Amino acid sequence: MQTSDVVIIGGGVVGCSIAYHLGKRGIPTHVIEKDDIAMGTSGACDKAVLLQSKNPGIHLELALKSVKMFPELQKSLDTDIEFLNHGCMIVIQNENQWKVMEGFVERQKKLGLDVKLLDKNEARDRQPALSEDILGSTYSPMDCEANPIYLTLGLYRGAKKHGVKFSLGTKVTGIKLEKGRIKSVETDSGEILCKYVVNATGVYAPTIGRMVGLNIPIVPRRGQIIITEPVPKLIHGGLNCARYITAKFRPELLGTDEMAKLGVGLALGQTENGNLLIGGTREFVGFNKTTTHKALKAILKHAASIVPAIKNVHVIRSFAGLRPYTPDGLPILGEVPEVPGFIMAAGHEGDGIALSAITGRIISEVIADGKPSDDLNIDMTKLSLDRFKNVDVNEFRESHNCYSFAS
Amino acid sequence: MKTTEIAIIGAGPAGLSCAVEAAKAGAKVTLLDENLKPGGQLFKQIHKFFGSREHQAGTRGFRIGEQLLKETEELGVEVLLNAAVYGIYENKTLAYVKDGKDHALRAERIVIAAGASENALSFPGCTLPGVMGAGAAQTMINVHRVLPGKKILMVGSGNVGLIVSYQLMQAGAEVKALIEAAPQIGGYGVHAAKIRRAGVPIYVSTTIKEALGTEAVEGVVIHSLDEKWQPIPGTERTLDVDTICLAVGLSPLTELAWMAGCEFTFIPPLGGHVPIHDENMETTLPGIYVAGDITGVEEASSAMEEGRLAGVASAESLGYYDEDTAKRLKDEIWQRLNSLRTGPFGEGRFKAKIKQLQARRQLA
Ligand SMILES: Cc1cc2nc3c(=O)[nH]c(=O)nc-3n(C[C@H](O)[C@H](O)[C@H](O)COP(=O)(O)OP(=O)(O)OC[C@H]3O[C@@H](n4cnc5c(N)ncnc54)[C@H](O)[C@@H]3O)c2cc1C
Ligand SMILES: Cc1cc2nc3c(=O)[nH]c(=O)nc-3n(C[C@H](O)[C@H](O)[C@H](O)COP(=O)(O)OP(=O)(O)OC[C@H]3O[C@@H](n4cnc5c(N)ncnc54)[C@H](O)[C@@H]3O)c2cc1C
Repeated sequence: MQTSDVVIIGGGVVGCSIAYHLGKRGIPTHVIEKDDIAMGTSGACDKAVLLQSKNPGIHLELALKSVKMFPELQKSLDTDIEFLNHGCMIVIQNENQWKVMEGFVERQKKLGLDVKLLDKNEARDRQPALSEDILGSTYSPMDCEANPIYLTLGLYRGAKKHGVKFSLGTKVTGIKLEKGRIKSVETDSGEILCKYVVNATGVYAPTIGRMVGLNIPIVPRRGQIIITEPVPKLIHGGLNCARYITAKFRPELLGTDEMAKLGVGLALGQTENGNLLIGGTREFVGFNKTTTHKALKAILKHAASIVPAIKNVHVIRSFAGLRPYTPDGLPILGEVPEVPGFIMAAGHEGDGIALSAITGRIISEVIADGKPSDDLNIDMTKLSLDRFKNVDVNEFRESHNCYSFAS
Repeated sequence: MKTTEIAIIGAGPAGLSCAVEAAKAGAKVTLLDENLKPGGQLFKQIHKFFGSREHQAGTRGFRIGEQLLKETEELGVEVLLNAAVYGIYENKTLAYVKDGKDHALRAERIVIAAGASENALSFPGCTLPGVMGAGAAQTMINVHRVLPGKKILMVGSGNVGLIVSYQLMQAGAEVKALIEAAPQIGGYGVHAAKIRRAGVPIYVSTTIKEALGTEAVEGVVIHSLDEKWQPIPGTERTLDVDTICLAVGLSPLTELAWMAGCEFTFIPPLGGHVPIHDENMETTLPGIYVAGDITGVEEASSAMEEGRLAGVASAESLGYYDEDTAKRLKDEIWQRLNSLRTGPFGEGRFKAKIKQLQARRQLA
């Protein structure tokens, strides 16, 4: 039988980042991935490494720490992760949004984010493609981006270089305990003895949780994205809108029309090749990963109201991914006391790319040192599974249209 | 939202035949095609068709198209042209772009009859203007009456390569040579004999090394292949051509079927990945049918029969035929289909089609 100190389940950006950090510390680690690297949500998402889209509080603190780690990754990984620090604007279309964003920006500033409000002319100077009908925008020079697939691949290659083992195309089918502690992981091609299991399976985390008797509150939140033909430089840096922020944190405030039901908010960027990536939606539809005509139309209509030139660009593709969503929008990180050796690292919703670096560091320190180092200064109780002890998980799942466990 | 009973994607021989059959049964039919004119491949087929008499052998392809079009008109089929279907979404809703605008159409049954697309080859210079599909060259001369070039190299000796070579000559071009990588000619002897008589050399065990030119094709280097399909050094030859036509097979246009979620099987003689379907041409998704080259690259005659089958079966499923009548009609069509799939060229396709049907039974 194989043995390893740590078995990580999931080869997405989160699992690969943890593997990379554990590998660097020389801890024997084995990653089990049922499909292939970045075949899950990490291969069906956007490329933003955003600070502005984080709630002022531990969410933003985590992101600030994570973003600081990216330049080093860009340097030390063999793969070009296309990390760029080129800022982001959040477009404001009406007075109501202005008021909300004003408060948001104030609170973010207090936590050390360099962000300010721009009036219409300042915004259009910075981003000439913006419509005349906008009211203004925010701008932060600290926002970044990275290619999520190259990032995951780079971390995977880096981890391998540091001796981490990967079994791709291998599925975890069960977890064995001995006297309540982790003993081994069963896969469809054999059993692996280990001391720690890391559940880094994103939207599939509840299925893995059930294997050790835990009911984990994570449901899929679908996002649909559109890709256009390449066009000459049109969008500078990242471009989101205030609706995006509302759809993410307070969807009930969007109203009840079709756009609100779909959770439409703008996330726009342009790739090196010139293709536009136009997002997106936030929908609770279980594990359904298809795109819908309604949503694609709504995304384009909204995008064109902010950047009218989009009306004249051809769409070449569309896809959907599933964000792992928890009741408070924060990831679940750390060891679960009821099952010693079982470590959670899932539920990053729409922020897993941005938060992957810090997650890798935190989880590797939890395993190697028992807790994250003091200089990180992170209150792990705010990220623990235990914080949901009063949540009725079955009710949470059903009220978010999630009636089954992914197999 | 616009609605219909049976929506058919693609107005080639399969789609048109399907429309005629379903409309005859009484169903409300909407036929969509991305072109300005219906007919699919038929309207560029100015040659007399091969095959059996009941399949109008001897009739020129475009005449068959005209006949089918007349019938669809008489039966009141709604034909939407310049309408490219780009997606099949939930509740059998089609999304299409017509005249630059986005539209949706909700149907009770969908028949995908999108045909096939030409395969490409890669070699140095393959992106130069002047390198094109043989089918594209055929559309240029027979539909648009534009000569793609004056001095042609045809690559591939299947029926498409042979027929299009002859038609290019009829249109006034000079075909410098026809080359074939395999050791023997792929298409019918009659077609090959015709172009040999016209003085065109056919080189077997030969392929392209590179296309010459900077702005456009100015020549081509070909070389011979050994028994293991490896180039033989020293056999290079330069031909003075301005156009290279590729007739190296077709692949079913399956994107819409993939997107809808149909299950597929891999059968190389049919062109690769093909949607699995049953004896009614219904895919693994209830109410979504396929017909024609999308189910496996064959011929116009088999495409028409498959279209009829899908037309009868989809109309039956909507209650326009009782079981007995539908069975009689379908049996007749199957007999004709089976007779089409005989002989030295049909046999392989017959076996491949059986495999495709077996794949359906294995799933059930
Ligand atoms: C439309 C959209 C846009 C987004 N945009 C951004 C953005 O701009 N910036 C950002 O930071 N984040 C973004 N996100 C969020 C981000 O993509 C996710 O938070 C992140 O990818 C989650 O990574 P993960 O490793 O937890 O999950 P995944 O990438 O899904 O990895 C989990 C892996 O576990 C494997 N697995 C599951 N079960 C088993 C099993 N039993 N055995 C073995 N393996 C198993 C799966 O195959 C999968 O590969 C976006 C998400 C979406 C959907
Ligand atoms: C050079 C040549 C010679 C041939 N000679 C013969 C012969 O002698 N005898 C014979 O029996 N067969 C012959 N064939 C084969 C025959 O033409 C094809 O098998 C037949 O046309 C296939 O019919 P179909 O209806 O499946 O597809 P097609 O005729 O290709 O029609 C499909 C139609 O669907 C449209 N379409 C595709 N996708 C979409 C979309 N997303 N939205 C809207 N519209 C769409 C296409 O534009 C096209 O009009 C020949 C073929 C070629 C190329």
